Amino acid sequence: MLDRESTFALPGTVKLLQKDFIPVALDQAYQRRQKDTEGEFYRKIASQGPRSDFQNTTQGFYVADATGKLYFYNNNRDPKKVQRLIRESLKEFVDSPPGQISVLQAETRDKRWNVEPPKGGLVVRVRARVIDGYKETTNQWKKIFQNSVSRDNLWITKEEHEALVAGTFPTKLQQRIARFHLVDNTRGEPPMWGFTDIRKLKIELKDNGEIQGQVSLRTVKGAERGYEAELKGKLEVTGGKVAKLEIVCLGKFWGEGRYTGGAPKGKFPLAITFTLADGTDLADRIPPQGSRGWIDGYLQ
Amino acid sequence: MRYKALQALIGATLAFSCLLQFAAGQDLTTEKCNTLLSELQPKSDALWRTIPWRTSLLEAQKAAAEENKPIFIWAMDGHPLGCT
Repeated sequence: MLDRESTFALPGTVKLLQKDFIPVALDQAYQRRQKDTEGEFYRKIASQGPRSDFQNTTQGFYVADATGKLYFYNNNRDPKKVQRLIRESLKEFVDSPPGQISVLQAETRDKRWNVEPPKGGLVVRVRARVIDGYKETTNQWKKIFQNSVSRDNLWITKEEHEALVAGTFPTKLQQRIARFHLVDNTRGEPPMWGFTDIRKLKIELKDNGEIQGQVSLRTVKGAERGYEAELKGKLEVTGGKVAKLEIVCLGKFWGEGRYTGGAPKGKFPLAITFTLADGTDLADRIPPQGSRGWIDGYLQ
Repeated sequence: MRYKALQALIGATLAFSCLLQFAAGQDLTTEKCNTLLSELQPKSDALWRTIPWRTSLLEAQKAAAEENKPIFIWAMDGHPLGCT
């Protein structure tokens, strides 16, 4: 969120990336682990920077050429500084362009880190926002977090899709929604819920397509977190397929995770919406956060 | 007698007030749903969305080689187009 509203909110930076670069956005937790051609190329680039221990995060901005030569690495969030470094790396590239370049072929593809949405299933856009509860602030970074809308994807299997068409809301799908998508991911990577954290969960699909539900989540161990909420929505079927799926979840959330610090004190209202993806947004292709390296666990 | 009646009245008022507060907090009306669905949409005119992001580093490498451009990598914990 921070980068979207800071680094990539500067028109000069955006213009540079549009015109003079090939921009790519990655969850580096994949590429630094991938045992395949893409992973090797990423590690070749990242190993020239300061974050070359691939057991740990390699997060940041990189500029490299197609041979894998690194021009700059930065993990600074000062938008003007990042723009200056991008300009300098472009000048270096232009002054000393790479020689012979061969296009890499994906000779190997690590299945664990290259997952696709289930065939015959559905992709649902999931967005969350803290509605209220933050203390007023003049800090620009805190303001970004306080107003941020998160984005993740829910994957629905073919069997679950068929069950929805037939008029039932499968238990496994209810549990996946609760465990991996009823989270506060508005300030970073959230902790997910375990099965035992689910105290109450009931999502019903009525004959007229209305969806209603209640959920109560609370950590059994570790830091105290919880979410008690109501769900309401609508499902429409056309030609044997789900044509519309909208769910709104609204309730009180409390607590925060290791990477989601800065939550409002006490209980605060958190809204989460689910809408069917149509493939027109680039983010529609991104695997669910909760499936990272563990697709079978996510879909179980 | 008067005191007991007053106590009962206060009790009933408090209970009703709590009930109203609970209903106000929990009532997820169709109108409220539509408002939230609309409010939680990303801004279509956000500048970062006008950048032609790719999500495959190999596709970026191919394009960089063919177009003779450097690659800009935005690598985060969690996908940058999603929850980071």
